[in-house]
Amino acid sequence: MPIAPDVYKKIVMAKLYMDDNFYESIDLDRISREACLSRYHFHRLFTRIYRRTPHQYLTRKRVEQARQWLAGNDLSVSEICNNVGFESIGSFSVLFKKEIGFAPQYYRNQAWLKKQQALQQPRSFIPHCFIEQLRIDG
Amino acid sequence: MITKVSHVSLFVTDQQKAYDFYVTTLGFKVNTDVTMENGFRWLTVTPPEQPDLEIAIITPLADGAMGYDDETRNAFRVLLAKGALGAGVLYTPDCRATYEELIAKGVKFKGEPKEQFYGIEAIITDGVGNWFSMTQPTGR
Repeated sequence: MPIAPDVYKKIVMAKLYMDDNFYESIDLDRISREACLSRYHFHRLFTRIYRRTPHQYLTRKRVEQARQWLAGNDLSVSEICNNVGFESIGSFSVLFKKEIGFAPQYYRNQAWLKKQQALQQPRSFIPHCFIEQLRIDG
Repeated sequence: MITKVSHVSLFVTDQQKAYDFYVTTLGFKVNTDVTMENGFRWLTVTPPEQPDLEIAIITPLADGAMGYDDETRNAFRVLLAKGALGAGVLYTPDCRATYEELIAKGVKFKGEPKEQFYGIEAIITDGVGNWFSMTQPTGR
C-alpha cells in the first residue's frame, strides 16, 4: 500500500532529527508522537522506507560518526564513544567492529598510517593511468 | 574477464563544492583525499554502501595542475556549465523519501519523482555540472 505524501514528510523529518541529534538519548516514543504516528506505525514505516529499524539506523549513524572522528581528531576512543551517544565502551567496540570490520583503536592506527603516507607519498594513492592520461604530472 | 568497475571519473566545475554535495549532503564516504606537489587534488569517494567503487572527482578547469590545453578546458567548461553531462544512475531504496530529504537539504531536482516502467525515478543535479537519475527499481 502506498505511503501518503504527508506521512513521507513526517518520517523523513524524524530521520533528519535523528541525523542531527544522534549523540543524544533518542526517545522513539517522543519521535513517534512528534510525527503524529503511533510507535508501532512509526517503527513499521521507518523500517519499510530505510530498510532498517530506527534503532539499527541510529547505531549505524553513531558508528559512522565515530569512524570519522577516530580518523580525524585526537579525542580518546572512550571520549568518542561517549560523544557519539554510546553508553558503554564495550558495546561500542563490539558494534564498531561488526559494522567497520576492525576494533576502534586498530582502525584509528590504520587511518593515521594512511594519512602519513598521503602526506609523504601522495602519488602512491593515484593509479598511474590517471596520472598519465590526465597528464597531471605537468 | 572483466568482472567489476572499480574507478570512474566524475568531472565537475568545483571540487570543493562537489565534496560538499557528495560527502556532506548525500553521505558518500571519502576514500582518498591527497594533494600532489603541483597542487593536483586526488579526491575519490564511494557510495555509502558500495565501498569498492571509487568515484574520482576531478575538475578539468583549473590551470596548471592538469595537462589539458585551453581548447579542451573550454570544451569541459561549456559542457559542465550546460549541465549536459549525465553521469549515471544512483540507487535508492525509496525514491520519494530520499527526494523529500534532499529537497529539505536544498538539493535541486529537475522534477518530482515519477513512475517509470523500471521503477520510481527523479532527476537530481549535483550543482557542479552533472545530473543523475535517482531510481528506486521496480520490485525492490
